[in-house]
Amino acid sequence: MTTNNHRFVRWASLPAGALVGVLALAGCSGGTETTATPAADADQNIVFALKEDPTCIDPQQTSLTTSLNVGRQIVDSLLDQDPETGELVPWLAESWDVSDDLTSYTFTLQDGVTFSDGTALTSQVVADNFDAIAALGASASLANGYLENYAGTDVTSDTEFTVNFSQPNVQFEQGATTMSLGILSEDTIAATAEERCQSIVGTGAFTLTSYVPNDSVVIDRRDGYDWASELREHEGDAYLETVTFPIITEASVRTGGLTSGEYDVIQDLPYVDEARYTTDEYNLYAQANPGVPNSFVVNTTHGLMGDESVRQAISKGLDRDQINVIAGSVSGSAPTSVLTSSTPGYTDLGDTLAFDPEGAQALLEADGWVLGSDGIYEKDGEKLTVTVTAFYAQDVLEAAQIQLKDVGIDLQLNMVSAGDFFGAIASGDYDMLGAGLTRTDPDVLRVLLSDSSSSQWGITGDDELEALLIEQGQTADADERQTIVDEIQQMVADRAYVIPTLETVQLHASRSGVEGITFDSASRINLYDAMVTSN
Amino acid sequence: MTVLRFLLPKIAQGVFVVWAAYTVAFLLIHALPGDPVLAALAVKGGDATSTDPEVLNAVRAQYGLDGPLWQQYLNGFFGLFRGDLGISISTGAPVADIIGRALPHTAAVAVFALILGFVLALGFTVWAYIARPAWVRQVLVQIPPLGIAIPAFLSGLVLITVFSFGLGWFPASGTGGFESVVLPGVTLALPTAAVFFQVFSAAVFDAGTSPFVFTANAKGLSQSTVVFRHVLRNAMLPAITVIGLQVAYLAGGTAVVETVFSRDGIGRITVDAVLARDVNVVMGVVIVVAIVYAVVTLVVDALYGVIDPRTRQTLKAKAVVSR
Repeated sequence: MTTNNHRFVRWASLPAGALVGVLALAGCSGGTETTATPAADADQNIVFALKEDPTCIDPQQTSLTTSLNVGRQIVDSLLDQDPETGELVPWLAESWDVSDDLTSYTFTLQDGVTFSDGTALTSQVVADNFDAIAALGASASLANGYLENYAGTDVTSDTEFTVNFSQPNVQFEQGATTMSLGILSEDTIAATAEERCQSIVGTGAFTLTSYVPNDSVVIDRRDGYDWASELREHEGDAYLETVTFPIITEASVRTGGLTSGEYDVIQDLPYVDEARYTTDEYNLYAQANPGVPNSFVVNTTHGLMGDESVRQAISKGLDRDQINVIAGSVSGSAPTSVLTSSTPGYTDLGDTLAFDPEGAQALLEADGWVLGSDGIYEKDGEKLTVTVTAFYAQDVLEAAQIQLKDVGIDLQLNMVSAGDFFGAIASGDYDMLGAGLTRTDPDVLRVLLSDSSSSQWGITGDDELEALLIEQGQTADADERQTIVDEIQQMVADRAYVIPTLETVQLHASRSGVEGITFDSASRINLYDAMVTSN
Repeated sequence: MTVLRFLLPKIAQGVFVVWAAYTVAFLLIHALPGDPVLAALAVKGGDATSTDPEVLNAVRAQYGLDGPLWQQYLNGFFGLFRGDLGISISTGAPVADIIGRALPHTAAVAVFALILGFVLALGFTVWAYIARPAWVRQVLVQIPPLGIAIPAFLSGLVLITVFSFGLGWFPASGTGGFESVVLPGVTLALPTAAVFFQVFSAAVFDAGTSPFVFTANAKGLSQSTVVFRHVLRNAMLPAITVIGLQVAYLAGGTAVVETVFSRDGIGRITVDAVLARDVNVVMGVVIVVAIVYAVVTLVVDALYGVIDPRTRQTLKAKAVVSR
């Protein structure tokens, strides 16, 4: 079922921040429009078809892309991040300080910010937000990741507060730009986790008017909004009056509705339909997810994966350009590191990750593997068979399977449900996991690989790597940290702990005449500058 | 009294169906490998999903999935009598609310499809019955099975392309008002009509060759009188039996149509719940569909008594005996 595949693609596409701007496409002016003005005679109401039920509107709890595409319009964050440079800029907080040991962060809030229920944004509300996230526990696992080792917030005045951590926390500063740490009203955070999923109040440029599960979400412009971050193209109220998000699970209905004019914007244009929408009648919006690209994440304690030659041979045996052509977006490119090209701190390791089938075979033969009569290597009577456990992007895995067979490696696919995928992680019973992990910071490699991470997927048993992962998370100096992050990327790619396969791209489309839709640093959509310029 | 005596066993039968459905579904769900709590957390948590056993245990307790299996079974079953279907693990909303919200949407489509399917099949049957010459009739009879042969997924998309995107007559999605019911209703009416037609045509053609129609024709009654007064009336009884089955099919079989038309309904909720291993929602849907089926069966049985003279006579005979 196509629907399910798309539902599952979101796991690869849980976006975070991105350095590379909107990829320029023919007729694509959506991301960079600065001269356009809303047409006076066109009503500023648009219909934006979502690909799935947001399930939970509360951005602190959910990490579902669809939900966050809605939540971003309603909820502001303390800081904002420039998707082009990775630079952090003020938003709700007009200034902030980081202690040298990365254990305390002091913010000063803008004056005059109010929630849409009329209450004021104060230091106490922010402190209560962070306390509430900590209390949500497993219901807000991503937000709690950013708040790792949270030790409470000291309120010094109505506009000043300090967030404290018991251990250095390098990801919090960037996390403060994400919706996971978006600021909700006092009433909202006082509600139960379930109630918050249905109804939220933020300081954003839009307010939630209605959410009917499995049917639609409607947001309305908020009058008097005056605290957009400097990354936005204008100030004051948003241009759009109303955005209606019908939930259209069937991809062909979304594309058909865009063509017929029933929808102005659609989320998640299938890659296979991309070519049809490159004409002047449409705008395409594409941005690679930041973080770790879709990859094989290795468990060195299982099966043959402890053998570095085997891991490297798998990495060399993958033709990533071809995988991108087969299973990727036209707007995307093959991964060239264990971080995507849109992640801050990314280093080009194209040479290390080059397609080299002869090199792969030479490695295996030097390691004592002998090509069997069936074209698969064997050693001591054991076939070179490895298994990848995954729950989405089967097309990527199948392409890899065919390529590896040519090299003499038998890749078995173990497609499971999302729950069983995490079940495998919990029990450690897998050779490799096939998935990506999306975050806006190179710290994502620590989250993925460190022994002490609560979301550890890769098991390396590599003390040298572990030390570096911890060190980058405790280094405040940007240059110094970058040096360590470079070293980590090189080490992870060399020792093939993470074997990248595809950079997943967020791909949306609108009719022309709807302009100004942008991606934020998290590859999620921002509609503040969006407008209707013609009907 | 006699009516009650007739109905009581049927009611008991209905209760048994619901209990059996609950039990079988419970056993099947718990026999599946994998952890429903982890699956449900994964819906919200995405790649940040916690696999910490302590966290999982806490969530398990929160949703009534802790403790021994027999305890969960009994708690769930007795909860039914309080109208408590538990809480959805992936959304946190009460299952009864979710189903209560979706059921009318599904019912609207199902009823529309049932009526339209019935009328279509009836019309087609009459047409085929009176069609001359024989080869035309033969051709007509071959058409309705297409309603089942063409997948609802395909016919739904074709209808959307033509009537929503092409002509703009009906919305392609959503649950707003009668217009939104038409296209999914038509999509489901096609297979429904095909099933009805099979039953009708068999009964009608059978009746057409029977002595009483021969007599009616010989008496010089008009063709329409013969068709409507004698032939069709004969076809009603098997049709009612099929209605019962069709309602059960429509109650559970709307998943595809609701996905294509992006409608909030029982079918789509079930698909989502199964994918997310949301066991509480799956159980709730099973129960509600079983209850619908049981009630419809009961009504159909009761209608038998009203329509079929033979059943009525059995009732009277029993009444005589009971005196």
